[in-house]
Amino acid sequence: MSDSETRPIPIRVANKTAYVWDVDDIATIRSKHRICGVLTGTLPHLSQQNVFLGVPLVLMPEEAVFLVESGAAVLIDDPKAYLQPAIPQLQKWSAEQQESIRTQLAYSETKQAKDNASPSRALSEDALRKRKEREERKKTQAALAAKATAEEGGLDVFAQEGSSTPTAPSELNSTLSLTPTSDLPPSTPSNATNPSKSSSSSLPPYTIVIPASASSHEWYTPSSCTYTTVESAREAGVWDYPSTLAERARCGVFKDLWKQGYFMGGGIKFGGEYLVYPGDPLRYHSHFAATVIESPMASLRPMEIVAHGRLGTATKKAHLLCGWDDEKQEVSYLSIEWAGFG
Amino acid sequence: MESHPSFSVLSALIAKYPRASSSLFQAYNDIVYAQQWHDVEVVDLETCSRGAVKGRKRDTEEVLYVVPCSLSETLSFAWFVSSFMSLRTPETNPPFIFLAITTQDASIVYYKLSQGIVKPPV
Repeated sequence: MSDSETRPIPIRVANKTAYVWDVDDIATIRSKHRICGVLTGTLPHLSQQNVFLGVPLVLMPEEAVFLVESGAAVLIDDPKAYLQPAIPQLQKWSAEQQESIRTQLAYSETKQAKDNASPSRALSEDALRKRKEREERKKTQAALAAKATAEEGGLDVFAQEGSSTPTAPSELNSTLSLTPTSDLPPSTPSNATNPSKSSSSSLPPYTIVIPASASSHEWYTPSSCTYTTVESAREAGVWDYPSTLAERARCGVFKDLWKQGYFMGGGIKFGGEYLVYPGDPLRYHSHFAATVIESPMASLRPMEIVAHGRLGTATKKAHLLCGWDDEKQEVSYLSIEWAGFG
Repeated sequence: MESHPSFSVLSALIAKYPRASSSLFQAYNDIVYAQQWHDVEVVDLETCSRGAVKGRKRDTEEVLYVVPCSLSETLSFAWFVSSFMSLRTPETNPPFIFLAITTQDASIVYYKLSQGIVKPPV
């Protein structure tokens, strides 16, 4: 935590969208910089649920600009930060994967042994004998299949030979796919496209952990594509917000409201640009829905006043018209409410 | 319109700002006869090219200002700011105005516009 309070927060940019992937960073920008963003991460097998979302946090572009301009964060061109891994780096990564698999297999083995040592009393002698036979059969099948894979020249990290007999580390390493001379591109760490179907079904299951953030990889080097200003990121073609008057107005209004201590959230539900909260949105209801008006002379129709005003009144909010003056770089505000008569 | 009892009060401003005359006429009559405000007067809002209405609600002391406009007009943020500016005098500085939006079918709706960030009543 102390680390994330001193260094600038990495905002990872992909396709001109700003993401924050580290939960500590998310906590810091919320508690220290009063910027909320929106959590958008969901579970791969429950992608439709949107009640409990997690990392990554997506920042509104004006939030990202504000954080960078205030020096609290830097923009990282994330796709460029993944360099081609060197062979030793890949070997290390692969060894770690194997280590994890081995640990898991050893664990499940001890667990199984324990279970076998104290079989449930409900099983009859006959059932136990049958089960043993089944297991024996499976074991021989697995051994045969594993052998077949090995003979194929198996370069498979995911399938592993010998389901129950522990394998020496040297043997494991020899099965790894570190063959840059082969026609496979060296950046493909394993031939996952060529799984050995026969053996994988009979192996005791283990988990392959794919971390949400890949920045812990040794070949992740963001230093060459880190931008400390919006301008430098714009020159590099990584970021282009704000580029129009409307976008400059949004950034200006956001900053001005933030300076006055407000928290801003997305205002689409109330037909505005922002919902303006007097404190953290988890603790307060918003008092205002805000619309950004990009210049003092921009046309404003009375119908907009009616639409915004009446909706706000029905939801105990006032509507805030935020008028941006690009020459003076100033914001002025008008609050709209229904008059209560007429 | 000329035979209406309000016409004598409004005639000067109606002649000065013909484009805004129907909104002013409608708003003034609504304030006087429907809302029944007291001490109703008209004010010349030169920067907005129209007349405005000033008065007190029944049983209250605060002087309120009503700026009329038509639903079909196109206004701007600067227009609203200038309406506040022209109502400001050394003695009075109204913190809010009522915008009276009028339509062809004689319906009228009022919105309260306050300068600055003003919290809604709880």
